[in-house]
Amino acid sequence: MITNPMREALKPNSLPHFFCPGCGAAQVLNFFVRAMDELQIPMSSILGIGGVGCTARIPVYLKLDAMHGIHGRTLPWATGIKLMQPDLKVVIFAGDGDAAAIGGNHLIQAARRNLDVTMIVVNNLNYGMTGGQVAPTTYSTLRTTTTPYGNPEPAFDLVKLVEAAGATFVSRWSTNRPHQSVRAIKKAIQHKGFSFVEIVSQCTTGFGRKAINSASPTKLLDWIKDRSLTISEAEKLSDEDLAGKFVLGDFVDKQAPVFAGSSFLPPEEDE
Amino acid sequence: MLLRRPRVLSGTHFMLGNFAAVEGALAAGCNFFAGYPITPANEVSERMAERMPEVGGKFLQGEDELCSIYALAGAALAGAKVLTATASAGFDYMAEGIEYAISDEIPMVIMDVQRTRGENFATQADVMQMRWGAAGDHELIVLAPSSVQELFDFTIRAFNLAEKYRNPVIVMSETTIALMRERLVIPPADQIKIINRKMTQAQPGDYVPFRAEMGCVPDMAPLGKGYNTLYSINPHNEFGSIKWEPEIFERQYERITQKILMNLDDIVTTDEYQTEDAELILIAYGSETRPCKDAVDVARGQGKKVGLLKLNTVWPVPEKQILAAARKANKILAVEMNMGKYAGEIERVAGCHAEVKRVTKNLGAIHTSGEIVAAIEESLR
Amino acid sequence: MIAERQAIQFCGFGGQGVILAALIFGSTAVTKQGYHAVQTQSFGSETRGGECQAELILSKEPIFSPTADKVDILVAMSDLAFSRYVGRLKSGGILIMDPDMVTRPSRNDLKIYEIKANHIGKELGFALSSNMVFLGALHRFCGILSDQQLFDGIRENVAERYAEVNIKAAQAGIDTMSGLLK
Repeated sequence: MITNPMREALKPNSLPHFFCPGCGAAQVLNFFVRAMDELQIPMSSILGIGGVGCTARIPVYLKLDAMHGIHGRTLPWATGIKLMQPDLKVVIFAGDGDAAAIGGNHLIQAARRNLDVTMIVVNNLNYGMTGGQVAPTTYSTLRTTTTPYGNPEPAFDLVKLVEAAGATFVSRWSTNRPHQSVRAIKKAIQHKGFSFVEIVSQCTTGFGRKAINSASPTKLLDWIKDRSLTISEAEKLSDEDLAGKFVLGDFVDKQAPVFAGSSFLPPEEDE
Repeated sequence: MLLRRPRVLSGTHFMLGNFAAVEGALAAGCNFFAGYPITPANEVSERMAERMPEVGGKFLQGEDELCSIYALAGAALAGAKVLTATASAGFDYMAEGIEYAISDEIPMVIMDVQRTRGENFATQADVMQMRWGAAGDHELIVLAPSSVQELFDFTIRAFNLAEKYRNPVIVMSETTIALMRERLVIPPADQIKIINRKMTQAQPGDYVPFRAEMGCVPDMAPLGKGYNTLYSINPHNEFGSIKWEPEIFERQYERITQKILMNLDDIVTTDEYQTEDAELILIAYGSETRPCKDAVDVARGQGKKVGLLKLNTVWPVPEKQILAAARKANKILAVEMNMGKYAGEIERVAGCHAEVKRVTKNLGAIHTSGEIVAAIEESLR
Repeated sequence: MIAERQAIQFCGFGGQGVILAALIFGSTAVTKQGYHAVQTQSFGSETRGGECQAELILSKEPIFSPTADKVDILVAMSDLAFSRYVGRLKSGGILIMDPDMVTRPSRNDLKIYEIKANHIGKELGFALSSNMVFLGALHRFCGILSDQQLFDGIRENVAERYAEVNIKAAQAGIDTMSGLLK
């Protein structure tokens, strides 16, 4: 029997996984494994973190040390680890609710501090695991299980949010763009500082059925594709025209000092 | 020009309680602190911000209590001995982080300086919150210092217990002692007993992260070295894999509680004062033991046979010692600075053997010895 | 010399250095004379300007109750705080007060020492040192420390650049109390 060579990256006893058929988070797991393989970084030399949600399950399946199961606190965990083990590479997998709602304050603070971690946010525009509730990334008028008459709230643009807060690598792609996603993840892993990759993704079970009246993965992928455009295409459009669109590309790639703690001796005292 | 002070400030000091707690933590080997500003615990953070860089440790001011408690978990898994300090309302936020640390057996010390709701007056109203704040079946160790010296000593002990049992340990501080200056004697560093967590000798692949005999504690492994351990709060088997079988729930809850309950003689400590022939015994913890001690002296001066059982460990409940006190005396006074909380535990343990009366006060100030003497007189009338 | 166990209360308004005076006296007694000491404090929600008090119990024996029912000595630096705390002074107690800042009480069961601490501090060119004038006077009254021990205690607890002026103020307090005790 032929097994996928990438199975080596997964913990032997962790399968079967719990993703729904056609789930984008499982694609992102693939993207990540491929990125690590292409970079030739041994999986078990890094630490994976997941909070709560479908995306948060990704590190559970990987052959590495991982923390999992607390909603929204991925970045505080990472902060403690990085202060004690600055050379340990830390990759966080978070859904949009985990990253931007319950963990929203930690997100902007970690970006501000330029915490040296990679955060991969799978944005499926809703709370998939709990049944498709509205999220801060669900844009206006979309129907979800808790916005049955259409979402009255505006949505976060996570790229703009973390960029404004101080993130030093920011990128957004979608599950429609596997190559670009893998490339962005590779860049993020190699980046020194807070690297943020948002991957717009399809949630068939929670999001599709309510928002576009279809649980078909391909229909959802097409729906995302129809609303996606490049940075240069977006520059020609007004803010109103950009509402409900996904601008894809690499937005920020710069260097800044990374976070190493909140208190240091004055320079003449430091050794 | 700053002078870089050593880790252990051996000598005699006149020190603020919150500072003494910091010095205790440092003497125990603490090298990571995270906290969020809250009165009356601020002096712990402020001194840690000064001292951590001096001893080569890390100080983090988190964006909130959640950041602080989870940063503790991360740092502890990365090998650090970790402390946070908060006060009552801040502890509310930390409860889930403590639950996580219990579930994945992560050593950490939490200092909770109890205060009255919304203000910073003296109280012991959170003695139950500390024990039961975290969800799920669990055991916690809570130590109750009564003086600046004990804030130092018990903080060291808290670290030793946390490391030994891979469990959160809470130092139950109070406004009364935290903001008090008092004589503190710090012994030479080589006279301070330090316990460090056991790290595994097993090779990656042979290591089973959560496997231990009942009543025992598994060894820890470093991060990023191929041990591939999953620290999830979800139900997990001894390999750390998330599983849903009932046996896993049973095993997980049993072992993480039995490692505490099967070692009570090592964990639980009390002090007794004038109890040998006592007909009435005061039972108290924390700062309230102080006016109790004075009251015992006053009562003895009047020829009354009164003693004090001082609970240094409030959780787990020192059942053996409370029971012995109840069998010795026929009257127990449960003294505390709240509306009567821990008294319920004392009644549960002692109720069959002695008459238990509550002496309670939650008016923002410690009992005076006169108030306790009056309660003794009333009880012996 | 004072009795084996003394409860001393310092009161004034925030910014006068009420707590610092208590801290230095306690710290010096503990670290240089082997005393036990407990110092507690309270201050208004506005740290400067509000009422402020510090209580210090000194004893040769370990101290249990951290606050006393009645105090033996009251050091009063402002009128408002004094009127609030004078009731805690035991009958026959010692009151050390600044007559320019505090109205002499009607109680006739007290031994009163008037120290013009504010005036003395101003004459030294450092009005904020009035707490050290009081400290010097209290120290002279209690007689449990040597002058040198007190000065070392001050040096250990104030910023280096203010040490000398504070010691001068304490010396002035010692001299004033010496005059009153003659």
